[in-house]
Amino acid sequence: MDALITQLQRQFRDYTISLYQQGFLDDQFTELKKLQDDGSPDFVAEVLTLFFEDCVKLISNMARALDQTTGNVDYSKVGASVHQLKGSSSSVGAKRVKALCVSFKDYCDTQNFEGCVRCLQQVDIEYKTLKTKLQDLFNLEKQIIQAGGRVPQVDIN
Amino acid sequence: MEFKSAEEGRIEKFPVGMRVLAVDDNPTCLRKLEELLLRCKYHVTKTMESKKALEMLRENSNMFDLVISDVEMPDADGFKLLETGLEMDLPVIMLSAHSDYDSVMKGILHGACDYLVKPVALKELQNIWHHVVKKNIKSYAKNIGTSRQLLPPSQSDLVPGVSKKRKDKVNDSGDDDDSDREEDDGEGSEQDGDESGTRKKPRVVWSQELHQKFVNAVQQLGLDKAVPKKILDLMNIEGLTRENVASHLQKYRLYLKKIDEGQQQNMTPDAFGTRDSSYFQMAQLDGLRDFTATRQLPSSGLLSRSHLTKIQPHLYSSINLQGMNSSGFIQQGHHQSSSNSANPFGTYHSTLPPRIQNVNLFQRTSSPLESLQFPRSKCSAYMGDFKSIGDRPIGGGFVDSCMSYGSSSTSLPSASTNTLMLQGNYTQPLHTVSSVNQPCIEKTLSNAASPNISVQGLSRLPSQSWQGNLNTTRFLSNSSPLNHAFFPDQVTCAGNNLGDCSSLVSAGNPGGGMQCEPQLLGGFLQNINSLDGQKWEQQNCSMVNNTFGNVEYPLPGDNMVFRENNAARSKGVDESLMSPIENSGNVNSQEYVGKPSTMVSAEMMKSGKPENAHIDNQNQHDVFDDIMNEMMKQEENNGMVSVAARFGFDSFPPP
Repeated sequence: MDALITQLQRQFRDYTISLYQQGFLDDQFTELKKLQDDGSPDFVAEVLTLFFEDCVKLISNMARALDQTTGNVDYSKVGASVHQLKGSSSSVGAKRVKALCVSFKDYCDTQNFEGCVRCLQQVDIEYKTLKTKLQDLFNLEKQIIQAGGRVPQVDIN
Repeated sequence: MEFKSAEEGRIEKFPVGMRVLAVDDNPTCLRKLEELLLRCKYHVTKTMESKKALEMLRENSNMFDLVISDVEMPDADGFKLLETGLEMDLPVIMLSAHSDYDSVMKGILHGACDYLVKPVALKELQNIWHHVVKKNIKSYAKNIGTSRQLLPPSQSDLVPGVSKKRKDKVNDSGDDDDSDREEDDGEGSEQDGDESGTRKKPRVVWSQELHQKFVNAVQQLGLDKAVPKKILDLMNIEGLTRENVASHLQKYRLYLKKIDEGQQQNMTPDAFGTRDSSYFQMAQLDGLRDFTATRQLPSSGLLSRSHLTKIQPHLYSSINLQGMNSSGFIQQGHHQSSSNSANPFGTYHSTLPPRIQNVNLFQRTSSPLESLQFPRSKCSAYMGDFKSIGDRPIGGGFVDSCMSYGSSSTSLPSASTNTLMLQGNYTQPLHTVSSVNQPCIEKTLSNAASPNISVQGLSRLPSQSWQGNLNTTRFLSNSSPLNHAFFPDQVTCAGNNLGDCSSLVSAGNPGGGMQCEPQLLGGFLQNINSLDGQKWEQQNCSMVNNTFGNVEYPLPGDNMVFRENNAARSKGVDESLMSPIENSGNVNSQEYVGKPSTMVSAEMMKSGKPENAHIDNQNQHDVFDDIMNEMMKQEENNGMVSVAARFGFDSFPPP
């Protein structure tokens, strides 16, 4: 059992580091983890749930706003949603999503339709990718705990 | 937070439990902010809706010590919240994802205490309590003790550091540094003490001319767009500060609202039942107030806390500042009052010499009120005021001094006295929290003793709401059993509402739907559906979701219930006792009531009561007071004399 725990812990550590190194997560995610303790044991999961729900909602708003069939595109609406998403992603440490939001915002400001649509697609892909990866990470955590081990604190250099 | 009698201990406890109102329409950010604030050991109330936040602030200005809000929220401008918070003398911190110079500048110019850029770091939030201290530095200094050595080293180190800012603030905020708080210049730091000691600003007297300029400015800007800063610029009055304008604007808005309703409802006593007398004064200044309203005011004013606020301090100031221009108040719009001899208040106005009737009614009442509210700092200030009136305890002394100034009708003095007494009652409970306060207040508010004891059950903090206090007292005099009957309910409600460390007040569903509209942008959007989300939910978050769900939904319900109970009870009582007009009047006054208590709440903050327990008490009484309010309204209709008599303030001459 110990060997299993150790292995899982190593996997967890490596996976976490890779997420940071690949730019999926940044220090805000670390901060988020720090806020989790006995008082709020599911804080990270809770906030991430909120974040992903946010993503769905905001992306749908953006898509609706970018829908040309309903008339002229209201770029301010798109921009407002992008701004929200930028705020959410930056507070959870979703680095790639946030970076996308920055360029998305630029396209909104310049009313570049193609650019906006492209960004929208990318944002959609990004958040889903992140979600999958974080799910895997959480699963690892669960496995460690189920095996009786402790989830290690991972130091990101 | 334990309210220790040792001030040092108390200071050390703060900022633990500091009550923060967090507003952000982004649920992710809000949740994170909440957790960060909780980590700092603050008491957090969060909402995603700016409107809700405004409601909460107005409903009970004493509920929070600090507001932190995002500037960009779709349902409302974050700056509106900022304005409201500032009107209530609450420190407001702005949050934004924008860090560009213009945005930051805009926030600061609007009066934000601080501007934080998202994502916010924990250490940034750990320091925000400084803003509360800064706003209330004088009270704190006094509370800390006459000598600085009582200050914990960290505090001592801190205060000099902020003293510069404090000086700037002192320069800017005329109202808060009123003369009645001069005595409060204890030693938070040498610099601060010296600075505040020398920087005493005279009270602003809202003369007719001044008010007219104000109204012109507001009309020029448009009531919706009228913000204190712009009004201030338009008025272009030297020495007038933004805060002066802000508080005046607040009253003016409420007054206008009242006027609207009054005109619709043909002004009954109850419409102005517990109205702050500033409405009355505002009306007089504007010459709009109709006779009826004027007539009603005295009786309500007798018991109205706001009346107390308005009349008392102003009387003090008028007595103190002999040269104040009160002519405006008396001369204009008094046609109504003077023509009606049956109107005690009118009589008052017509008979009292200008000296006593002062436009100060309009002026910022925060200081005198604050002095009443916050025992520590208040004691001396309060005594100081009374001393100028006469070296007598409040009740009788006040009356006597009033009398001595001229042929004042009995109505005002007794009204004032009564209000004073009420004030004593009100403050007494507040002070019961701290033994330090009590002796102080009891001295200044004479007959407070026995009434206070009975009021203690209600234990209503004055800053809660004018109505609440007023009703408490009235109710008390009428039927104690009813008090107790309600009290437990209030406790429960309050408990639910406030017992939680962080309460989510948002009415909205921050989570957003997992569903989104498909079919947009072709197949792309077909990918955007709830499947993934659900998978996430199912895999990882069943527990989390449950937690999240539990956290979120019951709380709003509780809060809603609490608030609805409030309204429901009030309505219930209303119907049984009063006409619909009174009902709305009650509601209105409640609303208004929230406003003046902002001053109080500022003081509340000063005395540093961020404890949750405190909040519980307050909120319990909120509902309780509302009910009492209704009960009392009926009393009110019976006339001033009976009310006064009911209070058993025998020492006062009946009106």
